[in-house]
Amino acid sequence: MRQVNALILTGFGLNCDHETALAFELAGARPHRVHINALVAGKIDLADFHILAFGGGFSWGDDHGAGVIQAVKLKNHIGGDLLSFVDQGKLIIGICNGFQALVNLGLLPGLNQDYTRRSVAITYNDCGNFRDQWVHLTAASDSPCVFTKGIGTADFPVRHGEGKFIADPDVVAALKAGHQVVFQYADEKGIPANGAFPFNPNGSIQDIAGICDPTGKIFGLMPHPEAYNHVTNHPDWTRKKQLQKRLKKPFATQDTPGIQLFGNGVNYIRERFF
Amino acid sequence: MIACIEIALKQSLRDAQASSLIKKAASYFGIHIQSARSIHMLTIESDLGTADLEQVRQKIFTNPVTQVSSMSPLEIDFHWCIWIGFRPGVKDNPGATAMEAIEDLLGRSFKSGEGIYTSRRYCLTGENLTRSQVETLARELLSNPIIQQFKIFSSADWDPEKGADVKPARVILDHTPCFDFIDIDSDQTLAAISDQRNLALNIRDIPIIRQYFLDQEVVAQRKKMGLSKPTDVELEYISQARSDHCNHNTFNGIFRYKNILTGEQAVEQSLFKTYIQEPTLALKEKKDWVVSVLWDNAGVGEFDEENNYVITGETHNSPSNMEAYGGAITGIVGVYRDPMGTGLGSKLFMGSFGFCVGDINYDGPLKPPLHPRRLLDGVIEGVRDGGNKSGVPTTFGQTLFDPGYMGKSLVFVTALGIMPKQVAGQPSHEKKTSPGDLIIMSGGRVGKDGIHGVTASSESYSENTPAGHVQIGDPYTQKKMHDFLLECRDEGLIRFITDNGGGGLSSSIGESAMISNGCVVHLDQVPLKYEGLDMWEIWVSESQERMTIAIDPADLDRFMTKSADHGVESTVIGEYTDSGKLHITYQGKTCAYVDMDLLDKGFPAWEFDAVWLPPETRGLFEPVIRRPADFNSLMTAMLERPNICSKEWIIRQYDHEVQGGSVIKPLVGVNRNIPSDASVTRPVLTGKRGLAFSQTLLPWYSKIDAYHMMTCTIDEAVRRLIAVGGCFDHIGGVDNFCWPDIGYHPRTNPDGRFKAAQLVRACRALKDACMAYEIPLLSGKDSMYVDGHLEGAFGERIKVSALETVQFSATSVVDDVTRCQTLDPKAAGDFVYVAGITGNELGASEYYDLFCKTGRNVPQVNFAANKILYKTVEKTVRMEMPASCHAVARGGLGVHLALMAMAGNLGMEIDLTQVPAAPGDLSDEILLFSESAGRFIMTIPPDHKAVFDKLCKGLAVCCVGQVTDIHDRLKITGTRGKLIVDLSCFALEQAFNKPFGEMI
Repeated sequence: MRQVNALILTGFGLNCDHETALAFELAGARPHRVHINALVAGKIDLADFHILAFGGGFSWGDDHGAGVIQAVKLKNHIGGDLLSFVDQGKLIIGICNGFQALVNLGLLPGLNQDYTRRSVAITYNDCGNFRDQWVHLTAASDSPCVFTKGIGTADFPVRHGEGKFIADPDVVAALKAGHQVVFQYADEKGIPANGAFPFNPNGSIQDIAGICDPTGKIFGLMPHPEAYNHVTNHPDWTRKKQLQKRLKKPFATQDTPGIQLFGNGVNYIRERFF
Repeated sequence: MIACIEIALKQSLRDAQASSLIKKAASYFGIHIQSARSIHMLTIESDLGTADLEQVRQKIFTNPVTQVSSMSPLEIDFHWCIWIGFRPGVKDNPGATAMEAIEDLLGRSFKSGEGIYTSRRYCLTGENLTRSQVETLARELLSNPIIQQFKIFSSADWDPEKGADVKPARVILDHTPCFDFIDIDSDQTLAAISDQRNLALNIRDIPIIRQYFLDQEVVAQRKKMGLSKPTDVELEYISQARSDHCNHNTFNGIFRYKNILTGEQAVEQSLFKTYIQEPTLALKEKKDWVVSVLWDNAGVGEFDEENNYVITGETHNSPSNMEAYGGAITGIVGVYRDPMGTGLGSKLFMGSFGFCVGDINYDGPLKPPLHPRRLLDGVIEGVRDGGNKSGVPTTFGQTLFDPGYMGKSLVFVTALGIMPKQVAGQPSHEKKTSPGDLIIMSGGRVGKDGIHGVTASSESYSENTPAGHVQIGDPYTQKKMHDFLLECRDEGLIRFITDNGGGGLSSSIGESAMISNGCVVHLDQVPLKYEGLDMWEIWVSESQERMTIAIDPADLDRFMTKSADHGVESTVIGEYTDSGKLHITYQGKTCAYVDMDLLDKGFPAWEFDAVWLPPETRGLFEPVIRRPADFNSLMTAMLERPNICSKEWIIRQYDHEVQGGSVIKPLVGVNRNIPSDASVTRPVLTGKRGLAFSQTLLPWYSKIDAYHMMTCTIDEAVRRLIAVGGCFDHIGGVDNFCWPDIGYHPRTNPDGRFKAAQLVRACRALKDACMAYEIPLLSGKDSMYVDGHLEGAFGERIKVSALETVQFSATSVVDDVTRCQTLDPKAAGDFVYVAGITGNELGASEYYDLFCKTGRNVPQVNFAANKILYKTVEKTVRMEMPASCHAVARGGLGVHLALMAMAGNLGMEIDLTQVPAAPGDLSDEILLFSESAGRFIMTIPPDHKAVFDKLCKGLAVCCVGQVTDIHDRLKITGTRGKLIVDLSCFALEQAFNKPFGEMI
């Protein structure tokens, strides 16, 4: 069988590359951790890959805005390669710092097929601090997003100081009209948080946790699906396991929603490219 | 040309920095600001033209969606404007990344003398704000004179053209580097020079140093190199190597111990050898999993068949006391270099913190360098930025408060790494330097920062302590280096690696050259931040984010190519030799030439008198406190105590699950707000094994006897591991001692002998506990002199000493993480068990402290009984019998039953008469709040009860009640058969969150 090749960016303070690579591997892809400089220097060709992952971390220390310098550097050196990657219908996922880089590159939201314009931003949390917590997410069933197919709700951790999604009202309206709002922060029942802290951990407008481009092939989100790569990652797992036991049910250790999300991307490539 | 870019968030957006300023101004100082905005400023000194500047302003420094910016001062109204900038030479991380970004975008390099300096200004509105109030904010909240400067403008002062008129904070030394020869005519002369130059040479070392340099043969050899009297470089080298920080003179000193009551006398030749080294080596023989201890930057234990884990712990107290953020970030980033420099290098996979500070609401007359509140804010942020930006999860952390820490607060940082057992066919935990290996320095550059940091931390804080050793860590530079070095390791390019921490190159090269038996170092090759450093300064500078590496010259090209690929600076600065000499040159001229074995020339051990005054001789008695009438209020008062209550706001600022291996998080329970007993992490994501980690701090017991402080601390750390599923046969320990000055002086330290005896007793306890529980000490450090001389109301200076404190960290390996357990009861109908005996042991408890009492009945550990109990508990957890398991800690059963009820959000009905107790009629308050060691609370599902009872037969394990969902209350029936505590989970949470619940 042909391999789905996923490129995970590394270097310059990025730090979720190992677990993102593992998540892709569990989802059936062949992950390649590639230093940003290897792409910039042309030692590695983006065209050899099917999925490009902008992972979490603190690229350039988050100085001068999270994801900003990463975006400037990539645009400056391989901006054309990125656009042709998009043109070929391949997949891009940006997680946390990667999401911040995608919006600063303009690859998101990609309104009117313009993949260079910065029209949304991800800025400092309303609470004023970095925050690590698990959030409940509800996915838009009518979203074209390739990665969230079949996912209704999911719990993932957020870990950021700059995760508040903002945009002008007309941009938000356009995103909603195009079903580009993929994930919203929600309460435990899956109902959007309506701004209520801590369900909405950062004050994002419209509880926006993740968006995609109009085609659904570029996806960015603040929560970390790769951090839910094992059943024991979830904060409630010991309780869930105990309660399953009382019902004489086995404690399921199959794919987590995190791996499912990556699996959707891998399957899409298999369907469309092989 | 000097240009300045000003950047602000658009007015419509929430300015989190400004909001934080408004909030803190009101709550800390009662100063009311109506509104505020913060402006980031970049002062660029370069020959960039207007078009280039405009391009970088727009493309890099301005987000069109959120920000406005200008090359001239932004027009933002204010009544007062505060500008804050770094002093020259202070590490400006955003300034460095700005240069990197501009160089990449424009494809040009900044030249020498060019640079970017970041600063910030705040525009405040408030009709009634006064200049002195604004100054208070600038001085007490926004800046620290050690690293920053500020300017204040009223709206009338402000020139809209010139703005804050920021000058580049460039270091200009205007000094031709040189080295000096030092007079050693007499001991007195050298002692005086040591004082003048801040060498901190021990007076007893001085004759040995002179003797060496006056030796005929030495004189002859040095003459050939053009040297006569010792140089400042050489004396600095000796001073660093002999400092208490590097040489552990206290723990290797001679203690003459005497018990005043029994007359017992003993001479302790070396606390380290007797109580740390010997037991650890003995246990290493017994425990196959112990791989490498007592010599490297960190200890090494086996994790699984393919991997070893690495652990060490540090403190960074002195710098954090003067500049909390800078000290703390330097501390965490610094300790993270230890696992990177252990063996051939390990990958960091977790870290933890421990903060001990004074009362954050202190409003008395003493003036610590930083108010405890501000200090805590700073250390939280420092460890947060350092840890999070390193991409390492902070999975555990504790914060505690005691007035003694106002003299000097404690910042503990711990680091764990993982490495394959074999790299490139070699055992990863072994390394050596060989003649001909190149000496490479990688990472950051060298500046004046950090000079004399080691010697300053070996003294207590006074108004004369040089502040120049405070730095700001740079996790970004270090993370790049971390990734680079691991690649080199895996390709077999590294022969030896160690970090540059205390003592800088002097320590890292001085120590690593002992292995090859010599080195030549060319100090002129060392990359500097700015020109003008003297040789001795380059040699001992503690500039951060640097590693020293030995490589085979044949590998140089590959090493350097990789270094460039990762954007890391690496430089060959010398060569290891077998000449027997430490040889340092500068532009071809020798500035140091001493024997490698100079430090073995019979330097005298330090000596201490230690006089133990048992508690009964110090007037300690049990306080007389009659039975409380209102246990409900007592319980909520206990939960509101700063050392008990929720510190969720701190924990959540730390990324505790990056790297994707989180199994048991620092906060657990239905509402995810109860501190976990321990954390469990999977450092190898493809496996099912986990590393359990716990830490304990119980300094209060030192008020009675540091022996029991130590045993209780270790006992609790072990129980915490067992509670989450740790394995009793694999427990590794790390001891971090923080002790007040133990050197007796009739005037300046009259109780030094007593504190020395406390240290001896704590060390004896360390050995007793480690041997009983079979805990090898994988690593450990000591930080002496945790005292401060604080100015009081009348200009007097009062010595404030911290409690004798040990943070004990413990590790264990979990075979299968899906068998781990948390402390929250999970289902109604389960039986609540208490394991372990509760005795009349309220001495130095949280309960007594509530009434400002100490008492004498300090908890004592029964190792033999506990060992049997812990193995049984471990077995039941392994068999997945308990639905929850929790180690009883500070605050006793009352507090810990409440924590469990909150964690499960379920009712619990408890009968105190069933609690396994020591003989004698124990009162309800003793049963509830005694802090006896060796106890667990567990909940057992009904279908496991019979087997569980059988397994625990003959042990002090009793069913004390049941979990219920009929109500959500903690109901405790006392010994007189009456309900004494009846509180809802909501009420418990309200109390638990009361002190800090508002903080996010």
